[in-house]
Amino acid sequence: MFKYFHLTKLQRLGILKWSLYGLLTLLVLLLQTVVLSKHTGLASKPALLPGLIVCVCVREGPEKGGAYSILAALLWCLSGADFGNLSVAVVPVGAMLAAVLCRAVLTLRFFPTALCCLAVTLLDASVIFAFKLILPPAVALPNYWRVLLPAVAAAMVFVPIHYGLVKLISRIGVHDAL
Amino acid sequence: MKKHLSAKTKWLIVVAVLLAGLLTITAAVNRGRPGESLIQTALTPFRSAASTLVRQVERYYDYVFRYESLQAENEELKRKIIAMEEDVRTADALQRENERLHQLLGLSQEHEDYQRVSAYIISWVDSSWKSAFTIGKGTNSGIRTNMVAITEYGQVVGLVTDVGPNWATVTTVLDSSLGISATVASTGYNGVVEGALATGSEGLLRMNYLPTDSVLRNNDQVLTTGSTVYPRGLIIGYITDADFDQTGVAKYALLKPAAELDDLEQVFIITEYENQ
Repeated sequence: MFKYFHLTKLQRLGILKWSLYGLLTLLVLLLQTVVLSKHTGLASKPALLPGLIVCVCVREGPEKGGAYSILAALLWCLSGADFGNLSVAVVPVGAMLAAVLCRAVLTLRFFPTALCCLAVTLLDASVIFAFKLILPPAVALPNYWRVLLPAVAAAMVFVPIHYGLVKLISRIGVHDAL
Repeated sequence: MKKHLSAKTKWLIVVAVLLAGLLTITAAVNRGRPGESLIQTALTPFRSAASTLVRQVERYYDYVFRYESLQAENEELKRKIIAMEEDVRTADALQRENERLHQLLGLSQEHEDYQRVSAYIISWVDSSWKSAFTIGKGTNSGIRTNMVAITEYGQVVGLVTDVGPNWATVTTVLDSSLGISATVASTGYNGVVEGALATGSEGLLRMNYLPTDSVLRNNDQVLTTGSTVYPRGLIIGYITDADFDQTGVAKYALLKPAAELDDLEQVFIITEYENQ
């Protein structure tokens, strides 16, 4: 089928790589909405997608990764995320800046990436919280450290898994490109 | 760092910000995001498959690890059934007396005829500030917005707030955005029940605007009073605590929801009812 479309091996591997990123995004979205958000008594619900988006963006660079991050954030928003409109701006912009920062100043290793994941996840949650503080029915300020920070901490537990999987997927086609 | 920010990256940042602005404006104007229905419809089969898998895993886990506690719970329930059967016998006698009195007074019999559609929960909203879930049925099954979701025991779960062809979003009673006109079954005090999520009492409901002199007891049942949205007599929850509100003029009560939302797998949407 690929021969029919006159695709080179590198292009085919590129399609495979981005398809796997797409599949990973879908799986993380399902894990987040079907499994982790189920228990209503536990108010802190971790948002895993910002961490994954940052990992991909840092690995793939601010351009390709940036385009992916916009699409992934858009999917998250349109899947019914609360205040997802804000995340469409905050998460991709944060991820692109993280990618630029890692390439310019830091490295692509685990700790700088995890730090960027923490920063973007916290920023996204904080921006939404700020709007929730203002708009009725307003949430109480102590919920920031009682609910939001545990949710961000829980999301960070998944970052090593995101990082490992993204690193594996990003290697597809690397040897052929060289 | 500035030199690392290419023109393409700058454009992507502009696109992201513009997209967010556009989504916010269209959501405010149309009361819904453009393309949301399409994405939700496309995601529904994946969510259904994932939730079915999760349910099977949970059932297996419960069978393996919670067998003894379930057995104890079963024994407790058996004891409760025996006690309730006795209550029912007393209630039967009272009902017969009530019917006789109704006939004597010529009052019409209250009858609520519910048409229900059952649906499985396929995903939950991933926000800490909102309590809502998606079910795997929508307009194709006759579900519309502002229909009430209940459990098989007639306990209020929430309200359908958004709907697509094969999905619907149910905002639960725990969410602070819902307000339900309610009454305390034993005393008849009226008030409005809202979710206490925003006030920091997760998992509880708050019944506001109760009279200052109202006497409230723990475990008093709170029911819907009946409105254009909520049928009359559905169980909302049980009183766990009460106090004066900030003004000191009215009282409020904290309620434990009757429906166990954490263990919920299936809900019933009331598509038609009559409030007489």
